[in-house]
Amino acid sequence: MKKKLVAAIMAATMAVTCLAGCGSSSSGSSSSDSKSESDNASIRFDWWGGDTRHEATQKAVTDFQKANPNIKVEVNFGAWDGWEAARALEYQSQTGSDLTQINFSWITDYDKGGSAFVDLNDYKDIIDLSQYDQSVLDMCKDSNGGLAGIPVSITGRTFFWNKTTFDKAGIDIPKSLDDLIAAGNTFKEKLGDDYYPLSLSTYDRALLMSFYLQANTGEPIIDESGKLTVTKDQLVDGVKFIQNLEDNHVMPSIATLQEDGDVALNENPKFIDGHYAGVFEWDTASPKYVSNLAEGQEFVVGTELTGLGDKCLGVSDKVSMLFAITKSSKSPKAAAKLLNYLVNDPEGVTTLGTERGIPASKAAYDTLSKAGAISDDMSTAHAEVVDSDPLYFSPKFDDASLKDSATGAYQDVFEKLSSGSYSVDEAGQKLFDAYNTVLAE
Amino acid sequence: MTKGKSFLKANKGFLFILPWLIGFLVFKMYPFASSLFYSFTEYNLFEPGSEFHFTLQNYKDVFINENERNALIVTFKYAFMTVPLKLVFALFIAYILNFKIKGVNFFRTAYYIPSILGGSVAIAVLWKALFKGDGLIHSFFGVFGIDAPNFLSDKHWALFIICLLRVWQFGSAMVIFLAALKGVPQDLYEAASLDGATKTQQFFHVTVPLITPVIFYNLVTQLVQAFQEFNGPYIITQGGPEGSTTLMSLLIYNNAFHTWEMGKASAQAWVLFIILMALTLVAFWSQKHWVYYADEES
Repeated sequence: MKKKLVAAIMAATMAVTCLAGCGSSSSGSSSSDSKSESDNASIRFDWWGGDTRHEATQKAVTDFQKANPNIKVEVNFGAWDGWEAARALEYQSQTGSDLTQINFSWITDYDKGGSAFVDLNDYKDIIDLSQYDQSVLDMCKDSNGGLAGIPVSITGRTFFWNKTTFDKAGIDIPKSLDDLIAAGNTFKEKLGDDYYPLSLSTYDRALLMSFYLQANTGEPIIDESGKLTVTKDQLVDGVKFIQNLEDNHVMPSIATLQEDGDVALNENPKFIDGHYAGVFEWDTASPKYVSNLAEGQEFVVGTELTGLGDKCLGVSDKVSMLFAITKSSKSPKAAAKLLNYLVNDPEGVTTLGTERGIPASKAAYDTLSKAGAISDDMSTAHAEVVDSDPLYFSPKFDDASLKDSATGAYQDVFEKLSSGSYSVDEAGQKLFDAYNTVLAE
Repeated sequence: MTKGKSFLKANKGFLFILPWLIGFLVFKMYPFASSLFYSFTEYNLFEPGSEFHFTLQNYKDVFINENERNALIVTFKYAFMTVPLKLVFALFIAYILNFKIKGVNFFRTAYYIPSILGGSVAIAVLWKALFKGDGLIHSFFGVFGIDAPNFLSDKHWALFIICLLRVWQFGSAMVIFLAALKGVPQDLYEAASLDGATKTQQFFHVTVPLITPVIFYNLVTQLVQAFQEFNGPYIITQGGPEGSTTLMSLLIYNNAFHTWEMGKASAQAWVLFIILMALTLVAFWSQKHWVYYADEES
């Protein structure tokens, strides 16, 4: 008996010693744990992005630390690939960074019941919320009505075109759906089978389909109450519209894109050399396309396409990304101070520039406008979205079960539609079922 | 001797294995038991309380749900293509390398190298580059004016290409076969030769029966590896096109770390485990019909 007892004590001691090292150093704290925590704090800040964003953000963090020598900031940044899963697990295990860059849909995905992020209304004495329209802040609420994140920018999708390829085909860049379909046939006849005026991934197809349906109904595909506003027959019509683009040589099939290496469009050799001459992208995304294009190619901002429907242009806009403070933060005030520096402070805003899009903060927008830091391309593209009277974009549209590139319904439906494994009726039915499953949760 | 010292002496062995035991309990037994528990729940990592919603649906779905059933079928296809091809190829090359030919050591090393690279990410990336639309294989066919199929975007080809990657890494099985071939007594070949047996007859009637224990060993280990394959389809095709390379392991990963359905992923992992266990048991049971153990004979 004694033997067993001693063995058990030793095992327990060892387990505790081992596991102590695995524990979080920043768990179970609250904003009220220290009255002067921001006076001397150490915080962690994470974000994803490309090299230019990393450089600008690191410089902003360094400047912030010079201005606030009592706050030490540790940074964690990387590319998008695998980023979401890693952060989600951190939020769930209460080991996330103090300040974290999040996507719009993460509020509904990972902050259920306000479990992951603090209510930033509690820090409004540090973060200048008056710089944001209330309607924008309302989009960033968690299910408890708390402000889960501060929107960095507002974005919407529009078209960008490789003007050089269109010139080669002898046609103007498309302004309407009819122009686009005509361009498909012209590209095929004049340039060859492997030239297309547009290239769309499965998610791009879902978004363009939603624009088409919205243009025909005048309502967001999923409204603010979380209701699907289209019928199964309308969804069948929507997928037929997408398939029609492929059938008319407007865009390559999904199999063709897979043959190209299944890479992001800006890394696709056929985009780089001008074979794929059009992009349907977020209005802030042009730099990554422009920088990859082969020399001598001119990349221009288009207009929202007319002729998709008779009710409106069908365009939606949304919060592109946000900064949030995790519930596990030991120093939320220090994190709030850094957050405010990045989104409102003239110095921080100037350093970051438009690396995260055109700022949603009025103060930041003014600072960058006066400094002439907003490029014409980005400004024009953003104006296209804003001027199109955009509709509400539900984060449910981006639910993982729909959007996920491996298991999501968009991938399943548009890949099999493209290959002919699904008829338009089957594809419409699948999408209808998938939306209803998500919205029933 | 003090009490403490005598206790230490009596439990010395136990104390030595204690670190391993703790690791085993914490990192093996606990996840094993908890995954069994979660497999009977609707546990979603981001749905608080879902770990206590009990259900059998996860297990039913493996056989009813279209995607899950497809993954199961694809896994069987993958295993039943890869394992025999790899074993036959490994045995064939080992047989050739068992002859006294010039530079045999170089060839043995060269054939073993792909296995050292193992299931690495770099090799999977290389495979993708070789077989994609403008890759080396396409260019090679192009030289002869042959319009090769789109290996990675054609659902009829993609799985075979993933299989080839593992078949190409036959080195470890080959080395084991080579050792077994060296153990076959030469006098048996001499006797067979005197009886007029051809080389082919000698191979099938002398060599193969004597190395059946090694064939059996390779069969079981390769079967287990094949059912656990992940890197190839994850990196080369991400399970596509149209789910044609979505093996169970990839589906488990997707459910666990894309949609966070831990209950579903746990059930799929247990089904995979049960299938593997059953196949291994069948293999062991079948031994008495085809595996020859010389020591049992005596």
